[in-house]
Amino acid sequence: MSVVGLTSLSRCGVLALRSPAGLVAVRCAQTAAAPAAQPRVKKFQIYRWDPDTPGDKPRMQTYDIDLNTCGPMVLDALIKIKNEMDSTLTFRRSCREGICGSCAMNINGGNTLACLNKIDTNVGKPTKIYPLPHMYVVKDLVPDMSNFYAQYKSIEPYLKKKDDSNEGKVQYLQTVEDRQKLDGLYECILCACCSTSCPSYWWNGDKYLGPAVLMQAYRWMIDSRDEFTEERLAKLQDPFSLYRCHTIMNCTKSCPKGLNPGKAIAEIKKMMATYKKKEVAAV
Amino acid sequence: MAAIVRLSSVCGRGVKPLFYQTTLLARPLVVPHKYQEQPHQLTARIHASQALHAGSASKAASLHWTGERALSVLLLALGPVAYFHPVPIVDYSLAATLTLHGHWGLGQVLTDYVHGDTKIKMANAGLFLLSTVTFAGLCYFNYNDVGICKAVALLWSK
Repeated sequence: MSVVGLTSLSRCGVLALRSPAGLVAVRCAQTAAAPAAQPRVKKFQIYRWDPDTPGDKPRMQTYDIDLNTCGPMVLDALIKIKNEMDSTLTFRRSCREGICGSCAMNINGGNTLACLNKIDTNVGKPTKIYPLPHMYVVKDLVPDMSNFYAQYKSIEPYLKKKDDSNEGKVQYLQTVEDRQKLDGLYECILCACCSTSCPSYWWNGDKYLGPAVLMQAYRWMIDSRDEFTEERLAKLQDPFSLYRCHTIMNCTKSCPKGLNPGKAIAEIKKMMATYKKKEVAAV
Repeated sequence: MAAIVRLSSVCGRGVKPLFYQTTLLARPLVVPHKYQEQPHQLTARIHASQALHAGSASKAASLHWTGERALSVLLLALGPVAYFHPVPIVDYSLAATLTLHGHWGLGQVLTDYVHGDTKIKMANAGLFLLSTVTFAGLCYFNYNDVGICKAVALLWSK
């Protein structure tokens, strides 16, 4: 059997060597699995709105891109459009590797980072790209993040000590276990994918802090070095800041970093029910 | 910092002999507690924005949440109790817990969707009316008819 195989192989090789046509045939057979050079044109429908044009209304603009000449991610397609097709297309981007959070947008109905989202290679279906939902639009895919940042600022996202006389003099040490509590929280890049996917945040974004900000609030609450846990909790004692969360869990589903803001909010709710009030009153 | 302490002491105390103020500056230990805190508050104001909503000192919001959870657990427990002991006291307990559960739940919906001071007040008044009528109706049914437990059991009695 092996002898037969060997002879047939060698015969084939001899054949291929002898005739140029046979060589081409063999090469074609070998590369048939790889995509041919024929273009794979994919449609991208992108939300456009220009505030500088008076009376301009938001519209969807379609761009055709050959995926063979484009990088794999949606951000690559956007950059290609801006470089080669339409320089007026406006979007935020910076690191192109999911660490800055600039390119958060709504792609095919889900909030995600354009740089971490692979282009769907099914060319029959257009990719639809919108700005983050329920945010004021500055231009095209650029949302106004002012409220989001102001909310983040309001939770005082930094270490607070009752006695700051040692500030800058000693390191505030932490056990390995205490440090581990911050894993899964500190990685948040504040891209706002979660907050803008939350229906509660859509309806009450002015008063409800939203999952991203609440997860950071929790991150500082459970920091073993922070001494203002009760005060941080007491700040959420109203019907809106925290309690508009109805455990819809869109936040966790959308997080491009794989974090779990929904769980962090649930932990805050548990802490809210159990913290002691008198410690707050003393300060 | 000294200027701040001095300024605040002037502001706070109004007219006071000048030597008294210099004594305060020279010996910070004598400075009243609230003046000592002043510099810290100022730095805090520089770093941080004002709170978007000043949290209240009461625990009303978290107590409400805890109440909702407790009521849900109670309602779950009342199910089997109602099945095995369909007595009037369970009927009235069910009337109360079901009404309160619905009242709080619908209240959350109103807080979510009804915006504006007047509108939310009217909506809450309407909800209160609805819950009152519901509770009265259930009690009337318990008193004059078979009661909630037996009424539910009748659904399977054919």
